[in-house]
Amino acid sequence: MIGQIIHKEILENLLSFRFILSLVLIILLFAVNGFVFVGRYRQQASNYWEKTNENLEGLSRQTDKLYQLAFYKQNAWRRPKPLALCSEGFARTLPNHFTFNMFSSELPEIKGQGNFTLSHFNSIDWVFIVSMILSFLALVFTYDSICGEREDGTLRQMLANTIPRYEVLFGKYLGVVITIGIPLFIGLLISLIIIVASNVVVLSGLDWLKILAIVVLSFLYLSMFILLGMFVSSRTTHTANSMVILLLMWVVVVVLIPSFGRIISEVSGKTVNPVDLERKLGEISAEMWSKADELFGERAGNMSTDLSHPMNNPPARSRLRTAEINAKNHARDDHHNKMLAQAFSGRNLTCISPVVIYQRASEAIAGTGMNHILNIQRQINQYRASLREYIRSKDAEDPESLHLIFPDSGCARAWRTISHDPVDFDSVPKFQERDLALGQSLKLAIWDIGLLALFNLVFFAASFVSFLRYDPR
Amino acid sequence: MIWRIAKKEFLLNMMTFKFAVGTILCFILMVVFVPILGKAYQERLKVYNENIAYNGRELGKVTVYKNITPTIYRPPSVLAIFSEGLEKQLGNSATIEYDEVPDIANAAANHYLSIFSVFDVSLIFKIVISVLALLVAYDAISGEREKGTLKLMLSGTVARHEVLLGKLIAGLMVLVVPVIIAFFLGLVILHFFPMVDLAGSDWIRIGLMFLASLVFISTMYHLGLLFSCLARRSAVSLVLGLFLWILFAVVIPNGSAYLAAQFLPIQSEDKINEQITSLRREAALEIAKERQRLGSRYISGHYGTSDIVGKGGFGHGYVRSGSEAYIHNQTLDYSYEVPIKIKYADIYSEVKSGHLKSLFEQTRLSDNISRISPISLYEKVMSALAGTDITNFQQFINGVKPYRKDIIEYIRSRTDNFSLPSFWTPCTKEEIKTRPNKDDAPPLELSDLPRFTYKSDLVGSLRHAIPDLALLILGNVLFFAMAFAAFLKYDVR
Repeated sequence: MIGQIIHKEILENLLSFRFILSLVLIILLFAVNGFVFVGRYRQQASNYWEKTNENLEGLSRQTDKLYQLAFYKQNAWRRPKPLALCSEGFARTLPNHFTFNMFSSELPEIKGQGNFTLSHFNSIDWVFIVSMILSFLALVFTYDSICGEREDGTLRQMLANTIPRYEVLFGKYLGVVITIGIPLFIGLLISLIIIVASNVVVLSGLDWLKILAIVVLSFLYLSMFILLGMFVSSRTTHTANSMVILLLMWVVVVVLIPSFGRIISEVSGKTVNPVDLERKLGEISAEMWSKADELFGERAGNMSTDLSHPMNNPPARSRLRTAEINAKNHARDDHHNKMLAQAFSGRNLTCISPVVIYQRASEAIAGTGMNHILNIQRQINQYRASLREYIRSKDAEDPESLHLIFPDSGCARAWRTISHDPVDFDSVPKFQERDLALGQSLKLAIWDIGLLALFNLVFFAASFVSFLRYDPR
Repeated sequence: MIWRIAKKEFLLNMMTFKFAVGTILCFILMVVFVPILGKAYQERLKVYNENIAYNGRELGKVTVYKNITPTIYRPPSVLAIFSEGLEKQLGNSATIEYDEVPDIANAAANHYLSIFSVFDVSLIFKIVISVLALLVAYDAISGEREKGTLKLMLSGTVARHEVLLGKLIAGLMVLVVPVIIAFFLGLVILHFFPMVDLAGSDWIRIGLMFLASLVFISTMYHLGLLFSCLARRSAVSLVLGLFLWILFAVVIPNGSAYLAAQFLPIQSEDKINEQITSLRREAALEIAKERQRLGSRYISGHYGTSDIVGKGGFGHGYVRSGSEAYIHNQTLDYSYEVPIKIKYADIYSEVKSGHLKSLFEQTRLSDNISRISPISLYEKVMSALAGTDITNFQQFINGVKPYRKDIIEYIRSRTDNFSLPSFWTPCTKEEIKTRPNKDDAPPLELSDLPRFTYKSDLVGSLRHAIPDLALLILGNVLFFAMAFAAFLKYDVR
């Protein structure tokens, strides 16, 4: 019997005006998504490799003296991800450039990203199409699923038979799922065919698994909206009222609550300012240098390029510079963490909206968004540690070096605090961005997937209970 | 007769569930959001005042003319509560330096907050009240046909145009209610914020925003009415209306920017940076040439300096005293370096403004594409009236640039075309012998330094808002004309 209800629902929907409009709109959006992504990815990938190779070349030119490797300012760029097709994760407005040397790293910044005079807009990726357009369409298909049949008079005829109510509900649910699933799958297929046929984007086996995971997530998200529509439909007697309530709920949940995030983050914490950071760094330097002698040893603040000059005190200077860079690194990390905390707090508080949950989970699986930045930073810190270990071990082999590894290039050059011996470029650790394993990506998303499943259960239970008591007359 | 129909429609619509829910939702949203937006504005205003105070204090500490590098701040716009526009996206400060011309730049704030979309009062109008307008209008004609009352109405002596006009007037009167409630609530809540101070021009802007909101809502109502006159069933009219709404509200605003970024790619920043680097090299060569030319004027001798770090105003340090040779040679250096750097600053600025022009062109293309959507048009009008659109930022920068020239002229006149030592050191002729090295130089007397005054240009904003407002009004007329034509041939059975 469920099969017959599903069959009837699908046929009824397939022949409707709203289905044709939905199909056209969705196919268009996915096609645009595919074409635009291919063009942009091609350019981004070539830019990325060009700049990364430039950085490596620059690094290779530093190998004639070991100490140069420590001070060379390396540039790392955010690698374009193929799964940005599914979830771009605000790539355009997030930092994409990281500068660092062995001793410290700067705050991530946005470089050459594009037009900052254009108002922020959502990219037309899968997450946008599913979270905004398909969720709306899900409501358009379900607002009259119960109350519409009641108005038509067919609900009481259906229930006059031996069919249990839960079968009717379940049949309708599956019918709408398949109805919405058709444009969704056609759209996804079109998008993927465009990508694969372009030969620009290479999807590995892991990428395909991640795409599958995102499709399952999208299904969970849409299913939630379908159940919401059926719930409201089974609480109202007029389709007009059902439509009004659902539309306004959609507006609040999908548009208003996520936008609220910005204002929450601004009000909940003090907005951190780069100017404040600059001032703080200046203060740290001024304080350390003015008390250099008392804190780190006599003549720590002095330096003459002739090592044997009595005004020099290399160990004291090493302590001064190391303490200075550590304090500055700490201030920068603190500042960066405050920035991230502000954004995360806004996002976390708007998690009442399934759109935010869905967005966050897809970004975690696709490896884009703020987690991408955090991941790169973590990898940069690990790389800096491995470079430091390499330099320390190579420096230990040089008997002429003072073996004082501290961030003062003038001293390193003049006093040979770090070895001046040449090294083989092949043995030097090089920074290479790695993707997170699937397991780790899923671990980030597991709570969100659970939350969406919970929403589904809640709305299913709610519509079940409402429909059991629904008056079909 | 029109008025009788209008009155009936008005009362009918006011008693509906959809109107009640929509209006209550508007009310709740305004009550929840405006205080939060007001508080955020207060925070921004506090930061602005702190920055202005910091500037004032630092000007009082400046010991040498080259340290006069105040930062000019654009006051936060209180009307950004109504329409945020680019307020948080673009930089609202410009630093005056002799070797760099300030220009429009990205906001130097927390980039991570850009993951959130813009949030302001106009969002409530764009989204909630426009949906309400569609919901009120979608069954105006087709609903009456389904109920059977349309043929009853038209079987009398009432003309079709009277019926349509009556429904139009009623619909607009119904929708004016939530708009008035929203504006009134917003202004009342703002009134209670201590730091919020609305000037006369602000009130004119608010009045115009109110009118623009009415025009926008009326456009959405006309659209709904048009669909109602085209469809025989309300369900079809509703579906059409909703599809078009999602297109106007979500797809077109995002799609237009997305497509513009694809079709009109901007000049790469790398090219600009390369050009600027080669220009800097040119400047360095010119300076080196001058140094060679004036080689004989340099004197030889012991070089010694006593530097003070970070206490000369605006975080800059200064040279407290130095040996005779050092003071003489450094003064000579500055006397020709600074005019050359000022000249090249203008050249760099021209190169950068070429790049900015390509950005503006892309933005203009995106704006043009998005003009199909009345919701985008409304957003542009509100942003222009609130003073948070790009032209407002351009006006600010265009005010700062001549001010920078004034400051440079002032310094030039006080330092005899940058050739006096006072440009870069407070060390006097006696102090060359005594070589003081404490931070005890007196601050400069700057009471006659030109001050920057920010003028908000109401006429400029209006000039920018009028074309889009005119398009909205045109849309109104067009949709009404089409609805009228459709209704004249509508089968009422």
